[in-house]
Amino acid sequence: MYRQVLSGTLHGVEGTLITVEADVSEGLPVFNMVGFLASEVREASDRVKTALKNAGYLVPPKRITVNLSPADVRKEGSFFDLPISIALLAAYGYIPEEGLRNTLLIGELSLNGDIRGVRGILPIVDFARKQGIRTVILPYGNRKEASFIPDVEIFGAKSLKQVVEHLSGNSCMEPETFRRHEHLKEPSFSVDFSDVKGQRTLKRATEIAVTGMHNILYLGPPGAGKSMIAKRIPTIMPELSYEESIEITKVYSVSGMLEPESGLMKRRPFRMPHHSITAHALIGGGKVPKPGEISLAHHGVLFLDEFLEFQKNIIEMMRQPLEDGSVTISRLQGSYTFPCEFMLVAAMNPCPCGFYPDLSRCHCARPQIDRYLKKISEPMLDRMDMNISVKKVDYEELYSEKKEETSEEIKRRVVLAQEVQKRRLKPFGILYNSQIPSNILENVCALGREEKALRKETFQQYGLSARGASKVLKVARTIADLDHSDAVKCQHIWEALSYRLSDFYHGGDDVV
Amino acid sequence: MKQEDFYWYWLTNIDGVGRDTIRRLLEVFKNPRSVYEADEEVVLPILKTQKQKKAFLLSRDKDRIQSGYQKLIENRISFIHQDMTEYPKRLRVIPDAPYSLYVKGHLPEEGRKAIAIIGARNCTRYGMEMARFFGRELSKCHVPIISGLARGIDGMAHVGALEASGYTLGILGGGIDQVYPKENYRLFIRMQQSGGILSESNMGIAPSPGLFPQRNRLIAGFCDGILVVEAMEKSGTFITVDQGLEQGKEIFALPGRVMDEKSAGCNNLIKLGAHIVTEVEDVLEILQIERKKVPKLNDLNRVEEIADKMSLAPIEKMVYSCLRIEPKYLDDIIDELKIAPQQICMTLNRMVISGIIAETARNYYAIKL
Repeated sequence: MYRQVLSGTLHGVEGTLITVEADVSEGLPVFNMVGFLASEVREASDRVKTALKNAGYLVPPKRITVNLSPADVRKEGSFFDLPISIALLAAYGYIPEEGLRNTLLIGELSLNGDIRGVRGILPIVDFARKQGIRTVILPYGNRKEASFIPDVEIFGAKSLKQVVEHLSGNSCMEPETFRRHEHLKEPSFSVDFSDVKGQRTLKRATEIAVTGMHNILYLGPPGAGKSMIAKRIPTIMPELSYEESIEITKVYSVSGMLEPESGLMKRRPFRMPHHSITAHALIGGGKVPKPGEISLAHHGVLFLDEFLEFQKNIIEMMRQPLEDGSVTISRLQGSYTFPCEFMLVAAMNPCPCGFYPDLSRCHCARPQIDRYLKKISEPMLDRMDMNISVKKVDYEELYSEKKEETSEEIKRRVVLAQEVQKRRLKPFGILYNSQIPSNILENVCALGREEKALRKETFQQYGLSARGASKVLKVARTIADLDHSDAVKCQHIWEALSYRLSDFYHGGDDVV
Repeated sequence: MKQEDFYWYWLTNIDGVGRDTIRRLLEVFKNPRSVYEADEEVVLPILKTQKQKKAFLLSRDKDRIQSGYQKLIENRISFIHQDMTEYPKRLRVIPDAPYSLYVKGHLPEEGRKAIAIIGARNCTRYGMEMARFFGRELSKCHVPIISGLARGIDGMAHVGALEASGYTLGILGGGIDQVYPKENYRLFIRMQQSGGILSESNMGIAPSPGLFPQRNRLIAGFCDGILVVEAMEKSGTFITVDQGLEQGKEIFALPGRVMDEKSAGCNNLIKLGAHIVTEVEDVLEILQIERKKVPKLNDLNRVEEIADKMSLAPIEKMVYSCLRIEPKYLDDIIDELKIAPQQICMTLNRMVISGIIAETARNYYAIKL
């Protein structure tokens, strides 16, 4: 007898549907599996046979053929144990055909017939919904994550037996309730901006950077609080929207990094890879490409501490993804695209010993410092929008009783300014000031006569490049937004100039 | 090209033939021309090494010599040798005087008292500002400023002189066209236009550690007094000082804090009897240079008063008054002034652009002297 069931697999962060067909006929007893299978899928035959036996289903020896189609898509992962065994049981007549219609099955089996969780559920279920499928049976451990997809009945199954009973019409499983609104309750952070004492300029620059999603580079001695501030950036970012949350969850689901009972990602990611990271781990890769750190930081923050210690070529690889907001990785079996719209925050020491410009402590010779700074290439520096020095706070400030601003207060300003931005930039299809392309920059940041004169003067005096000047203008736009000012005024440009990158290599030294 | 120049150019440009060998050759042959025309059997025994002999034989190639000389003319480099009247008089009297010089721009006026301002390459901002201040103020008194066009103190002394539109001479360790360090490129160009650049080596000779001590003897040779601005206890600067003492020049040193290792060398010099310098006038007096009105360094401590004199806007005056020579971080300025940070950013940037203050590193600001 021949039966077929629906299942799915992953392609990058998107799902695709797979049809699992089983045929049982007379002949020599063999178990044949075809359909461009990876070895973990091929192994399913042994798991399925044993699980069926242990679950108490008698499978008389016959000629069994299982086909996973379409045949030109490589089948990877452990999604197919459950659909294969169900197709088989249906072909043996254990399950009526109508039970299988319009139902998607995913799950890995253990030898005793229990169903184990798999990674990458969310994209598959989301895709299935778009294909018009209304019922999904998946591992119990994955049920929460899938329940955020509307219009689909989700059943979390613990064992093979449960599934067979359910499909035979003796329903014993309750569908999961759709919980779209649950995600809105953002869990509180364990850190807060008010933990950081002093550091007025650093906080201000960070607020501006977050508001316009500008990439920022911190320069400062060890222990000045660069990482401390960076870790608190997600606390002042606006809450995730439902769509954003789904996008992030897909990435984490595919990477197998979702906590079993967590459901959707509720917080903006903060990723802080160590500087020994490889290219594949940062950008994404592997034989079957998995998202890298830049994608895990999607809609959040990628913090690269000790920026200069990262391998230069690896940093260079981020250039194109930073521009595009997505990264495409090509492999023999096809190319995979992962989203990666993130805010890049980098921190580095200003010189090998870390204390420059405190010359009473810094013993680095100027050429040493130059060599040190030259480790970042100019094009990479071009990807950074803002640059700021951080200084260690002194004792009085560190232990002062003064109340610092909380993340909540800062966030309120950020959200307000971002809304203004989004409204202004919507016609151009972008969200943040940092994304403004040069052709509409003049439009969005219209300057008055006085401001134009200022721009001309500073352009020459600071030796700004065209790119440098437009970055200053974009940052000034964000400052004006925070200031509730429609026009970009001189004071905004002046402040933006304090965060410029133009004379980075010279450290601003006034030699000639 | 004069006959004489040709022979001098040839003699001073033979591979491996240095001043010692040239002296020995000239003792026998009296002038370069006779060396050129001498028979091989006579010349070769005077040369010591096989390499020298080989180079000597190959060097007498008229076309090569002429094209080398032509290249100097194309690059506006003057070749000056001992038999020329242009050869600086002061150099004739120093021990082991160079046989020839390469000059871009022009040489200092003969008979005018000159000062060498030298110091460490790795220096503090105090040192840099002092070098610039002395360079500028001495220049205003028409004193040529001699230095080594190096990083740090040397470069800043030249910058100061150029600011006062004075004459300044940079003496290079490498060949006449070698900009070292590279970041001094702009300074190099400006100096060959309005001052002078001098080297003992021809174009294309890369600076190497061995060349700097002999460069230092020229710095000492060109000046009447040597002012050491900032130097650690062990520093190349003291080669210049030793050469200066040997040539009978006055030695001046700027004192520093006793705990400050970057000034330890200067303080040592003072202990050993160098003139202590706390004002520009100290230098002028000892060298008996005609005095002009020069600002007192002591007054420069009173930043508030300077701010008053500079006709600044009230907010600029406030910001300026809280800055010092040592750089100050933006947050500290904001904390001190209690004015809106945006206002302060604006004022600071504006003053950086107008050149009153400097941003020494990102978000660190200091006054200029």
